[in-house]
Amino acid sequence: MSGSVITARGLGKYYKLYARDVDRVREILSGKPRHQQYYALRGIDLDVQEGQVVGVVGKNGAGKSTLLKLLANTLQPSEGTVSIQGRVAALLELGASFHPEMSGHDNIYLNCAIQGLSTAQIDQVYAEIVAFSGIGEFIHNPVKTYSSGMLVRLAFSIATHIDPDILIIDEALSVGDGVFARRSFDRIMAFKKAGKTIFFCSHSLYQVEALCDYVIWIDAGHIRRAGAPAAVITEYGEFLQQQAPLSPGAALGLDKVDDQHGANAMHADDLPRIKTLRILLDGVEGKVQRVQSCANDLAIEICFHPGRNLPMPCVALMFVGGDGRPLASAGNLNDGCALSPGADGLVRVTAHFPRLPLLKGNYNIDVYLLCERGLHVYEAILQAAELNVEQRSLERGIVNLPHRWEVQCNVETP
Amino acid sequence: MNFVLRYCRQIFGGITTPLLLSYRYRGLLWMLLRREIATRTSGTVLGFFWPLVQPALQVVGFWFLFDVVYGMRIERGTGFLAYLLSGILPWLCLNEVLIRATNMFREFASVFSRTPFPIEILPVELMCIPGLVYSVAFTVSAGLMFGALAAVKAIIVIPLLLLWLLPLILFCALLGLFLRDFTQGLPFILMLLMYSTPILYFPDMLPATMRAWIWLNPFSDLMALIHAWLQGEALPWNSLWRLGGLWLLLLGPAWLWFRRSLPHVREVL
Repeated sequence: MSGSVITARGLGKYYKLYARDVDRVREILSGKPRHQQYYALRGIDLDVQEGQVVGVVGKNGAGKSTLLKLLANTLQPSEGTVSIQGRVAALLELGASFHPEMSGHDNIYLNCAIQGLSTAQIDQVYAEIVAFSGIGEFIHNPVKTYSSGMLVRLAFSIATHIDPDILIIDEALSVGDGVFARRSFDRIMAFKKAGKTIFFCSHSLYQVEALCDYVIWIDAGHIRRAGAPAAVITEYGEFLQQQAPLSPGAALGLDKVDDQHGANAMHADDLPRIKTLRILLDGVEGKVQRVQSCANDLAIEICFHPGRNLPMPCVALMFVGGDGRPLASAGNLNDGCALSPGADGLVRVTAHFPRLPLLKGNYNIDVYLLCERGLHVYEAILQAAELNVEQRSLERGIVNLPHRWEVQCNVETP
Repeated sequence: MNFVLRYCRQIFGGITTPLLLSYRYRGLLWMLLRREIATRTSGTVLGFFWPLVQPALQVVGFWFLFDVVYGMRIERGTGFLAYLLSGILPWLCLNEVLIRATNMFREFASVFSRTPFPIEILPVELMCIPGLVYSVAFTVSAGLMFGALAAVKAIIVIPLLLLWLLPLILFCALLGLFLRDFTQGLPFILMLLMYSTPILYFPDMLPATMRAWIWLNPFSDLMALIHAWLQGEALPWNSLWRLGGLWLLLLGPAWLWFRRSLPHVREVL
């Protein structure tokens, strides 16, 4: 930590709304305001230290993207000041500035030049960009012939090879298909390890909490809360639950798990993948289980291929309520359970929930196969099991917490 | 005094800022030019040959109309075809640059709306390819019509014309962005200007009632200057001063408006 790399004081951005197009011209010429102001961001004070990983959370339309664009210097502030030390790379709208008629080679030179690199500097990183993107011989073809995956790979490769001091990430910690997703994730983690400053904006509260060491919650253009990730994320999570029920699959805050799953459906052989998944209630297998509260033992048996030349993945489970809200989770990483493969190279692990203490209601279980850090999703099976819980007793709520009663007799009163 | 100083500062900024930034970002400028060439030549067999040959083809069209169809054999010290070429090529260059300027911001929106980008270099980028193409065509034409000395003199005509056009380019770019109607109307305005400027005819062929228009029309001065320069005649200093004065008068406000508008550009797009 050697000082502030981003300093903002009273930073604000408003968009000017004009009744007629000509009013804008008249305003510019005369200097007399003829617009209405719509504030997207107001009164933002920031001091981001070198090497800090800052998370930004907030609802859609809260002002997150505007903040990122101000930091990326693609928008000018309407009020206040922002000072940025060092080169910024922004993973925003990847590939949007590619010219379809130009080759990948020329687009590399064009985009690097736009980012401020000289031709000599581009010459130095060109080979690395091509190698990392995996575009290979197609690099001399016009990018209009590339698939969307190739475009994203090339754009990501360019954005992360310009040696940025500050990396701005909007939503995705990884891009592209299975193999590249893992490589891109590793690259972002390498930035963190190298002490680069990262600004990470995401709806994935789990990833924000796991990755960041400072979190800003933006609401209606203002910083509503900022501080340690656990505290801010908890408060923001409660706020979200008050606003609206979560959609199924948003349990981990991994909004794009279906995409991830889809991508991994085409996975290469060397990527981790779930081979079999069994849901057992008192030893009887079934995807839909009728459970007696606090009476039946639930076991979730997962068999997965750990991939080749990759650190051992980890497994996580999420119990999700009928309204999509996450209720409880469990993961071998947090529980300190080390995994190892059997003789056939597959990893078999079972999570046991004795006398399942859920109270009556309908629940789903999502199963995740994650990277060794528990951040990057290799595979997600949403609604892997459905539990219909019944109960004989009259407890209310979601879960019967383990508890005991103690009655004191013959206590002397003072 | 303050006003004069501020005005001079704007003129100085208007001429130096785009040029200095273009030099500083010359690598980027070069890639933008390659981008433009890729756009122009995409899907063609002859590639960059087409932009180069376009002016020549237009000249052939005018020659066919006036020499073959109308059989015009008028002379005013020089043949009509030589006169026509001396004026029409700079005008076509002017026409192309101004019309493209109205769409300049939209054309480069994908480049500068998502990255920090020196927008001030765009007018220079806009001038480069037409400047090159029309300089070649004009130099060759002048050499063929008036001899080697005229060819040497012709080299500087298009670059100087583009420099003179800078304030108009800035105005057209901004008006094209903020008032889309301007983009639609400009081709018609330029067509009227071409017909009312002595390009397709000698100045003395204009009816007496319209002579005053020649005096008012700065493009008439432009044409008079080009013809005199190429043919080795005495320069019409009045025209030169009027063009210079107009340039100084327009560049300051144009640059001020351009700078004031930059924060609006990304918002509009």
